[in-house]
Amino acid sequence: MTFSISNPLRMASAVMVTTACLWSGSAYAADAKIGVSDVPNADPKSKLIFSNTTGGDADADWPLAALGKPPIPDDNRQTPAKIELGKMLFFDGRLGGDGSLSCASCHEPSVGWDVEAKISFGYPGTTHWRNSQTIVNSAYYGKLFWAGSSKSLESQAKSAAGGAVAGNGEADMMEARLAFIPEYRERFADVFGDQWPRLSNAWRAIASFERTIFQDDTPFDAYLRGDDKALHAAQKRGLELFTGKAGCMECHNGPLLSDEKYYNTGVPALDLWNDDALAQITFRYELYAKGSTEDMYRSTKDDPGFYFRTKEKADKGKFRVPSLRYTKYTEPYMHNGMLPTLKSVVQFYNAGGGINEFSANKSKLIKPLGLSDKEIDDIVSFLESLSGDELIVEAPDLPEYAPLANARGRK
Amino acid sequence: MNWLSKSFGYAGALSACLSLALVVESPQARAADMPGPVKAVKVKQALADLGKRLFFDPRLSGDGELACASCHQPEKGFADGMELSDAYPGTLGFRNTPTLINSAQRAVWFHDGRMGTSLNDVTREMLTETYLMNMDMRLMQERLKQDPVYVKMFKAAGMSEPSNGGVRNAIPEYLKTLVSKNAPYDTGKMSASAKRGQDIFMGKGECIACHSGDRFTDDKPHNTGVPENDKIFEEPLRHITFVTFGKFMGIGNYMNLRRDVGGHVVTNYADKTDYGQFVTPTLRELKYTAPYMHNGTLRSLQEVVTFYNEGGGDDVNKDSHLKPLFLSEREQADLVSFLEALSGDPLTSKTYVADEIDTDYVPIKSWRKTKN
Repeated sequence: MTFSISNPLRMASAVMVTTACLWSGSAYAADAKIGVSDVPNADPKSKLIFSNTTGGDADADWPLAALGKPPIPDDNRQTPAKIELGKMLFFDGRLGGDGSLSCASCHEPSVGWDVEAKISFGYPGTTHWRNSQTIVNSAYYGKLFWAGSSKSLESQAKSAAGGAVAGNGEADMMEARLAFIPEYRERFADVFGDQWPRLSNAWRAIASFERTIFQDDTPFDAYLRGDDKALHAAQKRGLELFTGKAGCMECHNGPLLSDEKYYNTGVPALDLWNDDALAQITFRYELYAKGSTEDMYRSTKDDPGFYFRTKEKADKGKFRVPSLRYTKYTEPYMHNGMLPTLKSVVQFYNAGGGINEFSANKSKLIKPLGLSDKEIDDIVSFLESLSGDELIVEAPDLPEYAPLANARGRK
Repeated sequence: MNWLSKSFGYAGALSACLSLALVVESPQARAADMPGPVKAVKVKQALADLGKRLFFDPRLSGDGELACASCHQPEKGFADGMELSDAYPGTLGFRNTPTLINSAQRAVWFHDGRMGTSLNDVTREMLTETYLMNMDMRLMQERLKQDPVYVKMFKAAGMSEPSNGGVRNAIPEYLKTLVSKNAPYDTGKMSASAKRGQDIFMGKGECIACHSGDRFTDDKPHNTGVPENDKIFEEPLRHITFVTFGKFMGIGNYMNLRRDVGGHVVTNYADKTDYGQFVTPTLRELKYTAPYMHNGTLRSLQEVVTFYNEGGGDDVNKDSHLKPLFLSEREQADLVSFLEALSGDPLTSKTYVADEIDTDYVPIKSWRKTKN
């Protein structure tokens, strides 16, 4: 079986066709002939842990597995020089509107490669409207942003640099800036053969750097590679609950612990909208800019999420399932940061999720779980095993602008 | 003289249309074939008041740092007093900020004349261009909706709520109110020197060939050989803006270009003989708007007069009608006096300048129950 590893969706459907005879209700049964080589992003040396959930949906739930190396797209291979350039660009605010915000501003390595507040900083004079997501392990996603609007890290970087409440940069200007930084001219020429730095290659370099920011050596990964002592007793109990009674694997499955599908789990609306003027402005802007009917624009008071991709009412309030890896460092949680701790997230699901404006679309998978306090703590313990050491990268020194040759006029 | 007589013909036709009004307004001031004053334009007051507040409000730029008035400052004749303009934070400009006084009468916009008479379009350009105000107008609209003062003002101006279309109507309406007032030339109170200067302007200096009409401009592009301002190419932030502009406008070879092509972006001659043409600027309110020319390279009116007395600058495409004028020192001084007489009262009263604006946004109460 061959897979296009850059596209998990296609991969999943390939599996569904070729293994239809092995299908077993809501999940790959433990006896299904799914090997580790079939599981996208899995370390070949990993054992697999299959879902024990009963009564879930018909979606295939990939088994849990240790994380393999990130997929590298054929059209953007990794090289040390490219990665180094990408690191510089990741920290360089000149890839934005007024030069003050870089990728790292909203994906700050020292705080989980995201932002500590519920929602991300916006561009100066604005605020964002969704929680900043960690860069760690972003290499494995086929869908970037909370509503999956980018299919690659390359296009995610481009979009984030351009949005009015994000980077607010304009392509011609950002590209022109690169041309006036001699060190970048040399590096783009070396890495990409550019006569003048091309902005599309800046996104490539940044994506290459981001593909180096992954973590495949968490305690859980060690456990799956055969170190039984890597998880302590509470974590093992938590794992049992995670794969069974709590039903987490309906959505959080595979080595990334995300099926990258869209669900409305009833996360309540961002409370800042009640009393934060900048948040109110940005909220209306997003409704307007992403395309709403007038009626919808006037009356909506919560983030319609995936709806903006499909314009189907049934998709209002749905967001792409996030990975559970590295979550020890990425609080607060959910697309709008409304849950402050991992424990509050588990409690949220134990209560059967929440209520929001689009609860009619709430997933049927979300229902009260009947977990005891101890069981909740065990699941939290397990979730903590999905994070290893904090990944810290120091911001590099950035090269300065310099005039071009022949700076005298009239030539 | 063909070119000159054509230009005089144009000015003459214009003046003929105005002569009746002139006679009524200030019979003692000028010969009937002289231009001016600039006619006031009827404005919708509520819309103009709204435009005035918008003009002074920095929330109309992407990061909330720049208002229209940041570069078009009332006390500097709605220019900025600098050779080359500032620009959006993180960038610098590559041309001189022109005055906005009497701008409602302009036939074309920007030093290169790349936009026509629709001030609505010009307003959009200024607000959204990345090196100007870098504003996503959809976000601007929501900012304005957050300010109860604007909600009220848009209603008073006959609009249901703040909108980016409304902004693009209101700012031009405000600009219509910026009309020269009490210039000695218009009131007939010119000094003897200025009167002599007027004769040179009309005659030996041939200034009126291009500087015709009430605003003393033909609104047409000409190459007078103004030297490049090397700062554009020596200061990366300016050169970056220049390159950004070149890319967007489709100017060839923009990375190696070391000159401002001016009106070429409009006419696009393949042989590039249109390089370096710039639209004739108005001569009104010069007292407040030094330095001069599209790139601010001439610091004083005296320098400008000297420049033309020498037949303009050096350029292969220079307009062939520019020739040394052989004006004496005294004639040059008289010409400067006349130019100074074209400046009126500063437009710095509350009629023209908005009250202080509280730029802090206030949350909308009962947000859930309030329609967006």
